[in-house]
Amino acid sequence: MARSRLETVGSVFSRTRDLIRAGVLNEKPLWFDIYNAFPPLREPVFRRPRLRYGKAKAAIQDILYPEDRIRAKFYSAYGSGQKAFDLFNPNFKSTCQQFVEKYIELQKLGETDEEKLFVETGKALLAAGVILRRVEARTQKEGGHVSWESEPTGVKPQTVLEKNQPLQEVPQDQHLETSEEQPKGLSPP
Amino acid sequence: MVPAATVPRLLGAGVWPRPLRPHLLQSATPGRARPGGRTLASAATPAVSEPEDSIDVSDKILSQPLKHSDFFNVKELFSVRSLFDARVHLGHKAGCRHRFMEPYIFGSRLGQDIIDLEQTAAHLQLALNFMAHVAYRKGIILFVGRNRQFSHLIETTARNCGEYAHTRYFKGGLLTNAPLLLGPMVRLPDLIIFLHTLNNVFEPHVAVRDAAKMHIPTVGVVDTNCNPCLITYPIPGNDDSPPSIHLFCRLFQTTINRAKQKRRQMEALYRLQGPEGLGARGQGLAASPSLGA
Repeated sequence: MARSRLETVGSVFSRTRDLIRAGVLNEKPLWFDIYNAFPPLREPVFRRPRLRYGKAKAAIQDILYPEDRIRAKFYSAYGSGQKAFDLFNPNFKSTCQQFVEKYIELQKLGETDEEKLFVETGKALLAAGVILRRVEARTQKEGGHVSWESEPTGVKPQTVLEKNQPLQEVPQDQHLETSEEQPKGLSPP
Repeated sequence: MVPAATVPRLLGAGVWPRPLRPHLLQSATPGRARPGGRTLASAATPAVSEPEDSIDVSDKILSQPLKHSDFFNVKELFSVRSLFDARVHLGHKAGCRHRFMEPYIFGSRLGQDIIDLEQTAAHLQLALNFMAHVAYRKGIILFVGRNRQFSHLIETTARNCGEYAHTRYFKGGLLTNAPLLLGPMVRLPDLIIFLHTLNNVFEPHVAVRDAAKMHIPTVGVVDTNCNPCLITYPIPGNDDSPPSIHLFCRLFQTTINRAKQKRRQMEALYRLQGPEGLGARGQGLAASPSLGA
């Protein structure tokens, strides 16, 4: 069977069609009629991949949602969620997701101030039974930084900082925590 | 006589049981008794000369499916939702992106490319349709994939369809130098399906280029780091997650089996009709293709 092995020239279809037209190829291949009837969306022609130079960038947009802002604030305030993500469950709602939904609810009720909304959502979640542990940020100032807390145990971050070195990034989810146990929990193993 | 246990090994080693070697053929693919060599004109025309109405019938059997836009009803096999649940939309990180995959990418979420499932659905429908028509015309289909995690799955898929698979090291001239490596008068595949377009060193699989050289159309699952240029019917989608590959294998298997069953049905119908009245009956039957499964 005659073939032209030039994969860079045209598509498989165009080469076969031209060989048949020229009379070099006597019998139509099996797939020819099928391709004729149902051609692909793009003809499979070879293209040489060229690099992009200078400031040319791909035209692909980032996927961002308005909830991402709320999520960013949540994570910077509370660290990664206390509840582990259960990916096996398709309808799983993480702590962050619950927070975001509550925030949007409260926002629809008419509140506009972001800080207030944040505080309100925290309180609402606490009332619902979800525990949120605030995390000490790395760039925390030494004195009097605390603007709001939402822990039930009333941790004083200054004492913690004085006692230990930074930073317990991921707090543990314990109900029976007292402020005395706090430093012990945070000391290095 | 080759025992049945070694036949899958031969399949895997890249040697397809040829119709001309019946001792290998018995356990692998029943019902593949073809006349020697390659007949290209029309798959159903036998070598022996036959009366004219059988040629008419075979032409009808072959030409009728091409008139329907979705003769084998492949659209019902999947939906955008099912593709999403199988994680087909997840691509690689933005740094691995291939330039030619950009039209198929919806966007990038925190650095990970997300493939546009609307386009994937359209491409998948075309690809499954093409595959079904090739199987309907008794074409040889070869499954290729070099990811070791799924090589067993691909081989079992091929066996369940009654087609061929090659998931091992692809020797240099397997397609381009077939008479030397596989023997004289060997029939090459009519369609190659790639579950993974890249080989183990993340370069394009040799078979993509070789199939283009040998005028063999290809269907392939292309991920965001693959080059879709030379593939006739690319399917942009995830080729790394198990659910995604399982879904694709299941779809391919169902389509090919459906097409073969359809072929058997059509042949039975026309044989039953026989020399009585091909014209009048043929239209009534063609209007409502019924699927047994």
